[in-house]
Amino acid sequence: MRLRDETPLDPKVVASLDAIDAVLAGEPVDPRHAELAELALLLAGERPEPGVPFATQLDERVHRRFAAPSAPRRPRRRWLWSSAAGVAVAAGVAVAIVISSGSPSRPSAPPVATSAAGSAPSSASVPTPAAGRAPAAPATARPVAASGQVFSSGAIGRTATLQPPSSGRKVVQGGQLSLTTSPSRVDTVAQEVFDVVGQERGIVNSSTVTATGGTGGYAQFQLSIPSGALAQTMAALSTLQYARVASRTDTSQDVTDQYNADATRLADARALRTSLLKQLANATTQSQINSLTAQIHDAEASISSDLATLRALNNQINYSQVTLTINGGPTPLPAQSGGGGFSLHQAAHDAGRVLTVAAGVALIALAALLPIAALGALGWWVVAVLRRRRREQALDAI
Amino acid sequence: MIETLSAPGETRSATAWERFEALYRSSRDDVYAYVATLLRDRAAAEDVTALAFERAYRRRRTFDRRRGEERAWLFGIARNAALDELRRRRRLAQLAADPEDTAATEVDEGDVALRRTAVREALARLSGREREIVALKFHGGLSNAEIARVLGVSESNAGTLLYRTMEKLRKACDATS
Repeated sequence: MRLRDETPLDPKVVASLDAIDAVLAGEPVDPRHAELAELALLLAGERPEPGVPFATQLDERVHRRFAAPSAPRRPRRRWLWSSAAGVAVAAGVAVAIVISSGSPSRPSAPPVATSAAGSAPSSASVPTPAAGRAPAAPATARPVAASGQVFSSGAIGRTATLQPPSSGRKVVQGGQLSLTTSPSRVDTVAQEVFDVVGQERGIVNSSTVTATGGTGGYAQFQLSIPSGALAQTMAALSTLQYARVASRTDTSQDVTDQYNADATRLADARALRTSLLKQLANATTQSQINSLTAQIHDAEASISSDLATLRALNNQINYSQVTLTINGGPTPLPAQSGGGGFSLHQAAHDAGRVLTVAAGVALIALAALLPIAALGALGWWVVAVLRRRRREQALDAI
Repeated sequence: MIETLSAPGETRSATAWERFEALYRSSRDDVYAYVATLLRDRAAAEDVTALAFERAYRRRRTFDRRRGEERAWLFGIARNAALDELRRRRRLAQLAADPEDTAATEVDEGDVALRRTAVREALARLSGREREIVALKFHGGLSNAEIARVLGVSESNAGTLLYRTMEKLRKACDATS
């Protein structure tokens, strides 16, 4: 280490140093420095000269460029090995951290509550009750997506095929479907929903579409789907091109007993009305006529009520109610088409994910290497200082 | 002073080698003289000189001209090798007494012989650092700036050290006379 000292030398010192340089260069010096010049010449005359054998031997070694293997190579090789080992350890630590923290590529969806829709009870232990044994048949609810997990629409479409109602039974079906898409594609996905419902001859009872362009895009649909086409409609809605299924719930409720009861009550009311009409035809007094007329009026009201109830139940049986929501999420991922096919878009997406993970690993490795490098540099500096100090001490000990 | 001997069109390797060879040719005797004065052992000086040139050859690509001249760089390597040798000898406790520099003993006559004897005696009484600066200046042939570079001090500090050493030698010689 060279120290900077701007302190000017004393002129007397400078003159003496100049005299020494001059006499060593063979130049004349001032008579005032004659004694110093003579001392300098005597010191120069004490210069040891190398012996001829040594000079010749060293000349030959230099000519051969020190061909014999020398020791200084070894530490460098050790340094390379230690550096490689350090890098390997850091990379291993980085990979372990990445693995232990889980794959960063899987998005974490918020918990999605899945439950049976409508009036169906939450219990789903008995899928098909025996006919006539209970006044109200239990409903079945089939939550497809587990809470906290997001599956691709293709996967759900494959695993959650709705079963058609068994023949002769009256079943009310329904479903809830929650989709996610990018904020910019809420409109597109909503249009896809309209298209699918139209193709299946369903009805959009109500719809609300809010597209903000940023996060928070949202759409909600209340659909009536012909029960015969419910399975394919749900499958189609689960495999939209630009949406992913966040959750899906299929519900069914056997209403055969309720249907039969309503039908029987309607038939009884009709039979009562027919009987009353016959009695009215045979009535002879005004009071009998008035009384029968009132009873007939009540019977007709009952018939109308029972008929409306039966029609409503029939409508529920024939058209399944589906609630569909679309959420514009921050990380849109286009769904696979055809059940896991390979497309250029998907390949580009996968490549981006690989680069992201690689960059993360590199960043973690760098974070692990920096302290190691800092410690290494500190150790090297300490060793250099100690070695320099020991050398100086050796000089002082002469 | 070393001049670069590379010619246009030469490869980098050849240029580095030729520069080293030129440095060797111009500095071999100077390095030996400096090391021999510092160690006061001709056999050890030969080993250290050879080791210093070999190290310089191995590290010739690391030389940075911006950090000083080649001679100062070479003498820095030689100094480290010589000090390592001093440390080794101290560890082995072989330095009970400094060996005599017998090769420098010549048959002189008259006043010159007396003066040379006085100088040798005064030189022998110098401390290691003082003897080193004499070796660098009068036996290694370095300028004050190069001495400063080798010792890691400022140039004015190196000049002051040299001046004080010369004054000490002069007084010692006068006392002997």
